[in-house]
Amino acid sequence: MPKLTIDGHEVEVAARTNLIEAARAAGVFIPYFCYHPYLTVVGQCRICMVEIQGQPRLALGCATPATDGLVVKVETSARAKEAREAVMEFLLANHPLDCPVCDQAGECLLQDHSMREQRDTFTTHMAETRRTFPGYERRLLGPHIVQNQNRCIHCSRCIRFTQEISETAALTYKSRGNSEFIDTFDGRAFDDPMSACAADVCPVGALTVREFRFRKRAWKLSSTPSICPGCSIGCNIFIDHHEREVHRFTPRENPAINATWLCDYGRFLADSLNEQTYLYPQRRAAGHMVRAEWGEAIAALALELRAARPLRVVASANLSNEELFLARELFGRHLRGELAVPLAAGEQRRMRNGKGEWLHAADPYPNSLGARRLGLNVVDGEGLSRFLYGGAGLTLILDAEAHPFLAGAEALQLLRVGATAVWMRCEHPLAGVAGWLLPAASLASDEGTFTSSTGVVQRFAAAFSPPGTVHRMPTGAMSPECPTIASPWGPPGEARPLWLVLTALARELGAPNLDLASPAEVFTLMAQTDRAFAGLEWEALGGLKLDESFRERQHVG
Amino acid sequence: MEPVLLRARGVPGSRSIATYLAAGGYEGWKRALGLGPDAVVKEVLDSELRGRGGAGFPTGRKWSFVPKDHPGPRYLVCNADESEPGTFKDREIIEHDPHQVIEGIAIASFAIKANTAYIYIRGEFVRWATILEEAIGEARAKGLLGTNVLGSGFDLDIWVHRGAGAYICGEETALIESLEGKRGFPRLKPPFPAVVGVFGKPTVVNNVETLACVPHIMTRGAAWFASIGRPRNTGPKLFCVSGHVNRPGVYELPLGVTFREIIEEHCGGVRGGRKLKAFFPGGSSAPVMTADEVDVKADFDACAEAQTMLGSGGVIVLDDSVDMVAVADNIAHFYAHESCGQCTPCREGSDWCADILDRMAAGHGRASDPDTLLRICRFSSEGMTICPLGDAYALPLSSMVNKFRAEFERRIADATPLPQKRLPVLPWTGPRPGFGI
Repeated sequence: MPKLTIDGHEVEVAARTNLIEAARAAGVFIPYFCYHPYLTVVGQCRICMVEIQGQPRLALGCATPATDGLVVKVETSARAKEAREAVMEFLLANHPLDCPVCDQAGECLLQDHSMREQRDTFTTHMAETRRTFPGYERRLLGPHIVQNQNRCIHCSRCIRFTQEISETAALTYKSRGNSEFIDTFDGRAFDDPMSACAADVCPVGALTVREFRFRKRAWKLSSTPSICPGCSIGCNIFIDHHEREVHRFTPRENPAINATWLCDYGRFLADSLNEQTYLYPQRRAAGHMVRAEWGEAIAALALELRAARPLRVVASANLSNEELFLARELFGRHLRGELAVPLAAGEQRRMRNGKGEWLHAADPYPNSLGARRLGLNVVDGEGLSRFLYGGAGLTLILDAEAHPFLAGAEALQLLRVGATAVWMRCEHPLAGVAGWLLPAASLASDEGTFTSSTGVVQRFAAAFSPPGTVHRMPTGAMSPECPTIASPWGPPGEARPLWLVLTALARELGAPNLDLASPAEVFTLMAQTDRAFAGLEWEALGGLKLDESFRERQHVG
Repeated sequence: MEPVLLRARGVPGSRSIATYLAAGGYEGWKRALGLGPDAVVKEVLDSELRGRGGAGFPTGRKWSFVPKDHPGPRYLVCNADESEPGTFKDREIIEHDPHQVIEGIAIASFAIKANTAYIYIRGEFVRWATILEEAIGEARAKGLLGTNVLGSGFDLDIWVHRGAGAYICGEETALIESLEGKRGFPRLKPPFPAVVGVFGKPTVVNNVETLACVPHIMTRGAAWFASIGRPRNTGPKLFCVSGHVNRPGVYELPLGVTFREIIEEHCGGVRGGRKLKAFFPGGSSAPVMTADEVDVKADFDACAEAQTMLGSGGVIVLDDSVDMVAVADNIAHFYAHESCGQCTPCREGSDWCADILDRMAAGHGRASDPDTLLRICRFSSEGMTICPLGDAYALPLSSMVNKFRAEFERRIADATPLPQKRLPVLPWTGPRPGFGI
């Protein structure tokens, strides 16, 4: 463990840590553009120049390992500061000053550094015509990536990403020297399964994500730590949202699972979180669906649940551990109903962790291992058909998207017998047979934990409260009213996360031990009763800290 | 001095192995095989041979950096990517005496225990690549290369690899990348090639001229070699004199002669009786020297003392008809074109300098331009870049601005465009280079 001094702060770091990371530990910031913690070090941008006492030449923060007794000067060295200023002058000599129309503004490393170090002092000696790449200002490199070569600072992060992480080597440099530019190898489309990460690692606005371009200025977005719902790998993400609308997913660092990457499939699920077809609870009356109040719905459902013989519950691996636990305890143990969790095979997905190992997943659920660990009855499509076969007093379907079988004619035929209550968010054939149709909230306003395929219990937070809940208006006053569609503070509706409905049902059904106020309380109970969660603490579940340094590291990838 | 490296120049049939063997060729190789690798390294260390490629690093020390206990393969690379402006010595050696180079490669490979050696030759040198291929074939036929060379149990294969036309691939780590089939980007050092080189294995990269010296050290002994030149700057050196002299060409002289002797005695003085204005001692990337510095000794240490470098020994002589702004413009354009584009100061700075000098040459110079040039150069050199290409343009340009500042300022004040003195380029009518081999 080498011990070194950086700008007067003593710090002890692990062997082979470089100076950028060592300085971060010491609370000193060394700027960088081309350095990325999960890519090879190339030392191209030269902005991380620091002075090391006793060495005649400046050293690179990214390529110099921390060694014992090193005395490093970052802010306190006039020489290093001067060199960094010169590098900025070189970079800005040819970088367009189009921040007002650049989509990266607000999360641009070049802009950040310029604002941090040279706010008032920046001068340029450049009097020549700026280098441009006509025809490369708005070029679609692939289905998701838009290139503006004029903004490129030649850090080669995107190239290294395709070479080292996604292993497609799809991007490459063409030409040489000052006219060098980024292109796809052989002119093929950049359709890497992780292509949008190239825009994540791009420190400037040279590569941007087509789906997010001009949708929202970065500084308007709030980021909420969450887990990607796309598959069981459980990549850590930020839900970036503004005014109760999800605008994108960005990867959140977790060396054990997704390092700082996210696949395109998962990333572009972000928009699906905004879909909400069903806004209010509805009840079938004389063949028509009629709007109902939640209170009414819960009271009526409780009555039906008590009377149901037998009671069948189709849970889902899309539900959080807390929701599955509540369902098991309430419907299984308290009401003696039957539960099944249907699992379907999905597309093969893979993700590279911080050690460079590939993690694989073959099912499209974020919590299939959680359902198994809770001891629930896991069935496949055929098993689900057997489960639904025969009459039941009441069938609860906690998630209409639990299995594609539920959308098929056979399932609809089977469910015509007996009463059915279905939780759903978007258009689904089950709406045609449901006696009760209950609006489910999206992942963005749910809270809880998923168990990843590697067995890690990971917490996700609610990005915003569910629609229609009491919340503060911009004036600060409490608004009891349901916001309207035009209101800037939220979409309409009364969709509620499932855990909230289940605890209300527990209250109604006389199961006071399950009448809990938050997923945190459910988790605590679960940790006491279930071996799979023993010893885990809600607060200690990883990766939900959101201080500035953490965030900064996320966004540079 | 009797010629050593160029002794075969002018001898009929000098390229054939028969001529080479008749003149005592491959005796050094046989002696080396008898001595053993460590003794060969010692002999070269004692000779104080320094790298002729430009940096002047002691060759024996370079060889001794190869890890002794490395289990896998190691490689020797002969750098024949001679692309420094004003340098044409390696071509001359290969043209007249390719076996000298082959023998040097064999001895060096043996010294570092490499069983594979590559000759990385400049892409345009099609003719000389063919000559080397033929020479390797002849040596192999005589059992001097291949498996179990001369019954010693040592195997050696030499491959000729042609570059693709980038100046930067003369830099040893860019050369290695290019040899591996990648884009010629210099690598970040450390690790040095002696530890992690070609295909990640320990590698020594030596210049053609350096390797050509090795057989002579082996046959005549380190003491003989060290007796040529002066201490720490030993041996014969090829000087490629170009520019405004009466007899330009390649001259073999001991290290330590003065530039005055080279220019006036050997090259017949400045052409047309004009006055010497300036000269580059070692290719265009060495800081320029003025006529007052013509008595500096042409060796590594004396040049370093004069704040320039001997480099590759490419002496470019400029007479008083030359405008320094035009020279600077020309040089800046070369380096802007050849910058690999990897690291910021060199990519942005080289082109920026070229733009400024273009503007000056067009008569639109600004009073602040010389200082801007000096600033760009200052922050492109001395460790600001990955490889020495930053220094290669920054040091000569800043030396020109510093030593001829008055001329730059006069050009700015004059505000008239410089006459274009570029030679017309004739269209090529022969076979396209690059398709002959």
